[in-house]
Amino acid sequence: MRQRARMVDVGSRDNKWGLIMVAPTILGLILLNMLPFFQSIYMSLSSTKAFGAYQFCGLDNFVKMFQNSEFWLATWNSVYFCLLTVPVGIFLSLIVAVLLNNKLRGTTVFRAIFFLPMVVAPAAVAMVWKWMFNGQYGIINSLFHTNVAWLTNSNTVLISCAVVAIWSSIGYDAVLLLAGIQNISKSYYEAASLDGASKIKQFFTITIPMVSPTLFVVIIMRLMASLKVYDLIYMMVSESNPALTHAQSLMYLFYRESFIAGNKGYASAIVLWTVLLIGIVTALQFLGQKKWVNYDV
Amino acid sequence: MKKIAVIMLSILLLFSVVSCSKSSKEATSSTNEKNVTLTFQIWDINQKAGMEAMCASYTALHPNVKIEVQVTNWSEYWTKLEASATGSQIPDIFWMHTNEILKYADNGILADLSDIVEKDKFSEISLANASGSNGKLYGVPKDKDTVCLVYNKEMFDKAGVSYPDENWTWDDLTNASASIYKATGKYGYMAYADDQLGYWNFVYQAGGYILNEDKTQAGFTQSATQKAMKFYIGLQREDWCPTQTYFAETAPGDAFFSEKGAMYFEGSWNLLAELENYPEMVGKWDVAVLPKCPDPIVGDGRATISNGLSYSAGAKNKNLEVIKDVLKFFGSQEGQILQGEKGAAIPAYENTEYSWISCFDKYPVDITKVTDMFAYGVQSVNNASRPEWKSKVSDTLLKIYAGEIDIDSGLKQMQKIVDDLSKN
Repeated sequence: MRQRARMVDVGSRDNKWGLIMVAPTILGLILLNMLPFFQSIYMSLSSTKAFGAYQFCGLDNFVKMFQNSEFWLATWNSVYFCLLTVPVGIFLSLIVAVLLNNKLRGTTVFRAIFFLPMVVAPAAVAMVWKWMFNGQYGIINSLFHTNVAWLTNSNTVLISCAVVAIWSSIGYDAVLLLAGIQNISKSYYEAASLDGASKIKQFFTITIPMVSPTLFVVIIMRLMASLKVYDLIYMMVSESNPALTHAQSLMYLFYRESFIAGNKGYASAIVLWTVLLIGIVTALQFLGQKKWVNYDV
Repeated sequence: MKKIAVIMLSILLLFSVVSCSKSSKEATSSTNEKNVTLTFQIWDINQKAGMEAMCASYTALHPNVKIEVQVTNWSEYWTKLEASATGSQIPDIFWMHTNEILKYADNGILADLSDIVEKDKFSEISLANASGSNGKLYGVPKDKDTVCLVYNKEMFDKAGVSYPDENWTWDDLTNASASIYKATGKYGYMAYADDQLGYWNFVYQAGGYILNEDKTQAGFTQSATQKAMKFYIGLQREDWCPTQTYFAETAPGDAFFSEKGAMYFEGSWNLLAELENYPEMVGKWDVAVLPKCPDPIVGDGRATISNGLSYSAGAKNKNLEVIKDVLKFFGSQEGQILQGEKGAAIPAYENTEYSWISCFDKYPVDITKVTDMFAYGVQSVNNASRPEWKSKVSDTLLKIYAGEIDIDSGLKQMQKIVDDLSKN
């Protein structure tokens, strides 16, 4: 109560300066994020022609979109990509974070190594992995003595892309989780080991509940990033790839419709659908968090 | 509140200063005597030297005009050009492609250049490639090209098959491929999913068409087109031809120059760069005319897709008079020979092909085969909605290759895609 009273006291002056300080950011947000967002909504209700000419057409784009099998396949591809990357990726980063938290020799080196993929440009990552996955002379096939067309078979293409996505996201997620883990007081572990709890028991009953707020943020971020995936798939799956339609995510479809075919109105409808999808998934997350996220530390 | 207002005002002021300075710059550059710097957008890095040579010659004659050549990759070129055209920031001079010219011309983006082109010095195809739907010229013809057959002589020798010549038919192509595969284990003719460098050639050889005369309807369900498409797509079922999954990871050119396959169709514009980039392969390969259809439904079975680029300019450019003078030079005999001599491309100007051919003097390839084919060249297929149907037709073709749909329903789908988009 006391703190609040103080804020009110000097509030009027502080507020003004606060507003002035954030004005450039707010202005940027309005001009670069909000305005285009509303423009996208308007565009999704228009039939667009080349060179920025458009005409209001009601819900035509949405009707066309929901009738299009390619669109539903792209939606499924995005969701499938999420299912492939998020659980496995989060689980692995959690394990990496716990391991990096141990007092092993050379922990800093390992931390740097795990974080490295985050520093490399996504395009370079995709190029290298594309070579490794190459069906003819890729290292993966020769290592495992398999003969799989990883990137050109419609069943394996998204799995291959998911492997790369997980590989490049583990380091970043692990660092976030590590920060959360390091905030856990040692006394919990000491008490638990005095009571005879094994390391694994400690992991499930102390580490996970205590790190759950961070875990929650990481999951939300990863889900959003996975539903919006574009650059990785664009780099790995070219337009001459026969598995293209089975790898095409919603954002990839948006890119092709908007910038290659020039249907900006239809493409805007795809974008709005993606926003809606992410919104629903995130809302579900926030509803579900009450069940497992622990905020009383 | 007052302070906020002050800050807002100062931001506004800043913007207006920026825009003022910009418009004043344009004003000074619009007069002819003053110095003008023009931007010239192209997509092929291999042709940069040729373009710069032309620009330098022009600047030597008109010291007040400087032309800056900028290269943007093909994959981003059209995205960038459309965005800049939408924002009225289109480059002063830019390359235009048959795929896109009608879209740009018919929407009033391009300047009418009919009065600066020496129309009697260019072939009908070259002029058609530079025309809008209304028949006016919206580009100065730059170059012309053909699709040719590139083959590996060593593999032919090993298999004891004679080299491709003028009398070769589709049957010779498949027979030679089978013999080479049997004798050397290497792929024969590599038939990959592509329109201009692939099935279009076969379709026109068989007497079919992709678009009808007035460009309003597709010809995918027409019998000669079907015959050719079935032949071409069917080639990937042969042992001696790699499948589309292979081509998705290895471009046919890469396969050819790493000696994995004996033949593929290549555009004439790539040949010089390939001789320069693969010095160890020089002498091992040569160029031939395209094999003909043995039993065409219409015509004599000969065809090659002959495309050509043109130089264009924005219709609303303030420096249009200067630009037109530059383009007139680019389209003159002198300008065209300059780009030919640098090996950039085959000049579109009549009887200047020799300038490009002479670039191949030091290489053991029979380059005149490329220019021989102009006699039966077919204009690259286009209409105003080509950018829209291009990727959709290509997706359908990939589905046929992947076995997701059979060829008959695939062709019907292609027909519908193109028809629906070409109506208006």
